[in-house]
Amino acid sequence: MTSAALRYTGVSVGYQGTPVLTGVDLELQAGQRLALVGPNGAGKSTLIKSVLGMSQVLSGSANVLGRSPAAARGLAGYVPQTDTLDADFPVSVRQVVMMGRYRQLGWWRPTRPADRRAVADGLEQVGLADRARHRFGTLSGGQRQRVLLARAIVAEPRLLLLDEPFNGVDAVSQEAIVRVLRELSAAGTALILSTHDLAVARDLADLVCLINGRQWAVGAPGETLTATALRQTYAHAAVDLADGRMVLVEP
Amino acid sequence: MIEPFTVPFMARALAEIALLAVICGPVSVFVFARRLAFVSDALTHTVFPGVVIGFVAAGLEGVFAGALVAGLLTAVVLTVLTRGAKVSDDAATAVVLTAMFSIGVVLVSRRSSYTSDLTSFLFGRLLTVTGRQLAETAVLALVILVGLLVGARALIFRTFDPVGASAAGFRVGWIDLWLNVILALVVVAAVRAVGTILVVALLIVPAAAARMVTGRLAVMAVLGAGLVLAAGYTGLLVSWIASVDHQVSLPSASAVVLALVLFYLLLLPVRLWRDRRGATVPIPAQRRSPHELVR
Repeated sequence: MTSAALRYTGVSVGYQGTPVLTGVDLELQAGQRLALVGPNGAGKSTLIKSVLGMSQVLSGSANVLGRSPAAARGLAGYVPQTDTLDADFPVSVRQVVMMGRYRQLGWWRPTRPADRRAVADGLEQVGLADRARHRFGTLSGGQRQRVLLARAIVAEPRLLLLDEPFNGVDAVSQEAIVRVLRELSAAGTALILSTHDLAVARDLADLVCLINGRQWAVGAPGETLTATALRQTYAHAAVDLADGRMVLVEP
Repeated sequence: MIEPFTVPFMARALAEIALLAVICGPVSVFVFARRLAFVSDALTHTVFPGVVIGFVAAGLEGVFAGALVAGLLTAVVLTVLTRGAKVSDDAATAVVLTAMFSIGVVLVSRRSSYTSDLTSFLFGRLLTVTGRQLAETAVLALVILVGLLVGARALIFRTFDPVGASAAGFRVGWIDLWLNVILALVVVAAVRAVGTILVVALLIVPAAAARMVTGRLAVMAVLGAGLVLAAGYTGLLVSWIASVDHQVSLPSASAVVLALVLFYLLLLPVRLWRDRRGATVPIPAQRRSPHELVR
């Protein structure tokens, strides 16, 4: 029996002993796509970082790829938000994607033909093969996000985490990212992505986890992305309109 | 134009600058990219008490060992203090910097030749570089280049994306220590020739100037080294002409740094021109929709 990509039971996560998010019960199998949905400050990033071994699991049992998060460090792929990176940094698109191979190569082992081939294939997959020699910072926000996705792909992770992959991304890039994510999960990679975009969550995810300080619901999009559950999760940020519709207002 | 450099002490000064150029070009790229200008400044100041202690204990020969010990110690302390961002980089650095510099001043003020000692420690003695000093600088330069070569990949990854590097299993704390030690070694290599104050220029200006003409790391490193060498030649020549032909005393290390800054200023318009052509695309305002219609 293969172990689940992720199994969290009664987990609290946080920093320096202070919990940010409590009561997390999740199980994700190979090839499944999980969307983390919740308002700003809900704990989405903290949860993602806990999987990477970069925030603390304060209680409960956390298991990533069959190990503790600390022991699984380096095994899960990670796609950061583009705007957390220095656009002025003098590095080419190809160099950024090659960083995905650094886990295997370590500090100084030279790149092999297989690494260069993987980088070329990764860029091909996200539709940016013609930009390999461009400087990273000269690309649009959406293209940069695709480059970071290509970087994650070439590491060939069994579990991939994406922090708000659709923020500041144009429609063409969003379409490309969604297509690649579907291909990855079809090939057996488990995906966890945080998003504000409920339409994307409904369309892309097999599982949706609603969080805001604690886990409010987890299940198929049809069961979780309901007015009742969202109202519970977003609390004051959910405003009912007179015609029976509801608006989620971010602070 | 090469005649002054047939005089042995001028040739040794230029050779020393050439060695420093080879290391300062690539190292300054990381100082620039990591925005470590202030940390470099701190290192130059904290090496100061080490220089003084070494000098008091063993004369000029002790300066090297004193600087080395103080530099390595600072590298470790700064790495630990800034770890986990419990103290902001700037505050921690400033505390270490001012404390160590004050200790240096107190120590040097105990000596009778206070003013001349202080001047030579702060501004260096480029024209009295000895053969032995050159050899020591060469050995340090080799160690630094090997350290950079071994660490380049991790350093670049960590500089560009610290969270990504950490997620990929790289130990960011060790990478930071690696760079801080390299910085300390550069300061130790340069401190006797250009002094603790001016060495910071060699760590910051080359890459900052090179960045104005190129967007590639390797080119920045080579160009930065070239700029330091050119500034060394220009500065030494000007100070030679000023003192020999015009009897104006112009400290050579300061002349070298001024030449370097001049190159920086000359390259500024290139950057402005490149920026106007839109070399870097600013990230558009986030599309994160504040209002999400549910149904």
